[in-house]
Amino acid sequence: MSTQRRVAVTSPQTRLAHARRRYRGPWRPTTLDPAEAPRAFALYRVQLRNAVLALVLLCTLLVGLPLLLAALPQLDRLRLLGIPVSWLAIVVVPFPAMVLLAFWHLRRVEQAEDRE
Amino acid sequence: MIVAFAVAPVVLVTLLIGLRGVAAMRTTSDFLVASRRVSPLLNSAAVSGEYLSAASFLGVAGLVVKDGVGSLWYPVGFTAGYIAMLALVAAPMRRSGALTVPDFAEARLASPALRRLAAVVVLVIGALYLVPQFRTAGLVLSVVSGTPYWVGVAISGAAVSATLALGGMRAATYVQAFQFVFKLVLFIVPAIWLLIQAGPAVRDAAVHPVEFTQFDRDTEVVFRVGATLDVPGGAEVVEAGGSRRALPEGEWQVPAGATVEFAEGSRVPTLRGEIPPGGSGWERPLLNLHDEGHPLLGTWAVLIATMLGTMGLPHVIMRFHTSPDGRAARRTAALTVGLLGIFYLFPGIYGVLGRVLVPHLYLSRATDSAVVALPAQVDDGTVGSLFTGLLTAGAFAAFLATSLGLLLVVSGAISHDLVPGGLRQLRVAVVGAAVTVVLLALPAARFDAGTLVTWGFTVAASTFCPLLVLGIWWSRLTAPGALAGVAAGLVSSAGAFLVTVADPPVHGWLAILLVQPAPWSVPLAFAVMVVVSLFGRPKPWATAAMLRLHLHEHRSSPFADRSGGGRDLGHSSWSARRSSAVRRITRRLVR
Repeated sequence: MSTQRRVAVTSPQTRLAHARRRYRGPWRPTTLDPAEAPRAFALYRVQLRNAVLALVLLCTLLVGLPLLLAALPQLDRLRLLGIPVSWLAIVVVPFPAMVLLAFWHLRRVEQAEDRE
Repeated sequence: MIVAFAVAPVVLVTLLIGLRGVAAMRTTSDFLVASRRVSPLLNSAAVSGEYLSAASFLGVAGLVVKDGVGSLWYPVGFTAGYIAMLALVAAPMRRSGALTVPDFAEARLASPALRRLAAVVVLVIGALYLVPQFRTAGLVLSVVSGTPYWVGVAISGAAVSATLALGGMRAATYVQAFQFVFKLVLFIVPAIWLLIQAGPAVRDAAVHPVEFTQFDRDTEVVFRVGATLDVPGGAEVVEAGGSRRALPEGEWQVPAGATVEFAEGSRVPTLRGEIPPGGSGWERPLLNLHDEGHPLLGTWAVLIATMLGTMGLPHVIMRFHTSPDGRAARRTAALTVGLLGIFYLFPGIYGVLGRVLVPHLYLSRATDSAVVALPAQVDDGTVGSLFTGLLTAGAFAAFLATSLGLLLVVSGAISHDLVPGGLRQLRVAVVGAAVTVVLLALPAARFDAGTLVTWGFTVAASTFCPLLVLGIWWSRLTAPGALAGVAAGLVSSAGAFLVTVADPPVHGWLAILLVQPAPWSVPLAFAVMVVVSLFGRPKPWATAAMLRLHLHEHRSSPFADRSGGGRDLGHSSWSARRSSAVRRITRRLVR
């Protein structure tokens, strides 16, 4: 058995490419075409409004539902199909509401993008 | 036996699909382009597959058994996070070209120091999220097969490291998409079977909770960790020979590793510091954290932490990058809300059935294993074992998907952001991280998966959430401000957990804010970030860097038609290069 070392057989070009890609270049600031800046700013304003509206609705749900359940303990005794209404309220109400909210918001932001 | 039959196929199929995915990827012209063409539906299945961890699969039901119906707020928060993600983060993050939060920090603020701090935060979140995964996997394996806890943890660690080293998991999106469908089926089908098989008496008992005070039958309880029980009069245990022996009234220290068989009709001892399942307040739909009162505060605290924390989870952000553009990333987030919504309809069923059928698990702090313990209670024949096997397989899939993604992110943070190095170092980092997590998980048996995971969410909410939200929506954010805010959030949230572990003598709302610091640590981090930024001056290009994130890619450019498709028009050349560097490392690791 020869004790010759195994060597990698690579094209010089490949080796060069590998060497180059490992290089971490200096940081360069992001560029924004001045012609596009007003459009970008308008989009930013619209999307910020949309986002805030969606979050306000979400927070209304997440703050309001616990508050409602705390204020109305009689919901524990009220039963629908034998299951306490207050149990159903934390499973059956929030998830469909959140799905609706997500798709409503998605439609609004995409329309805003298409208009711009 | 069950373990071998249930867990081995999960690992094998994952590995096979993964390897096949690698092969498929190599035949396409470019791995980058291929992975950026993932459709929103497939990608959202992958996001959900990675997101539904052992804490969701087992932990939520376990918390329902232990703490009450209010624990169902956890999944609401987990899902709500994706709406926040959709509204604030998904599209701009994708357009930034940054694959991880440390990348984003450097891309937006050009601060290497912030990048390193962000990498440290990734490590903290990763540890807090990984430890409960390993702990739960160890617990489940020990419950279904009777092996000691540490063996289960070690097996899980070995399985994850081996899968990651052999490759596959990360290579293809459809591995995770497959995992999601797999988990969904393995969670829903047994739930329906349990409901049907349990019979009308159990179903009726499930919706009429009563306090767990008496054993309905001879019940064996395995104490994996020691416990202090308060024994009431009339408690009896069954001796080895089958004779009954009355327990002395008063305090009883049960050593770790003991197995006690309580007799039928015996009174149930209470675990010190806990309210038994079905006790007062169990049926209330609010979260009474540590039974300290103020259930509204507890519920809101958990919702804030889980909702805002989702935005900063490093393994989830990574997934969004496989979308073709910002728009697809947003659609992915919206679809994820729907997919998670389907899954989270079911943990409650396991929870309320578990309260009737396996309430004794609370004595040994093993309620996390309630899901896999249920089928044997309903059917002690072959069908019961079959469903135990299916649920174990699903739990293991959940554990595997989340742990693989997280372990990769953690080792990436170590060897890419903290100590830059080559491929070998990355592989060493994976094994090193897995070993560290196994060692951390060994003494963690007494913590609930849900609690620990929520801590991970809290750290993410108080560090990355302000960084991402202000970075994307506020042009005046400066690097020193971001540094100060992230540091303040990390110190306050992690500090609160350390104090909690030391178990200080505080009660009431103060104790809740210590266990769940999100309501004050998140605003604190935001405030510090804003105030410190206002004292400094943002870089001249800061506004351009921020506005760029909101400009969508498919603009009406005369070149768009020719160069569209695989090319990323929304990227500056810098960020394209940057992200491909991260991607290259990811790809190398999974080879």
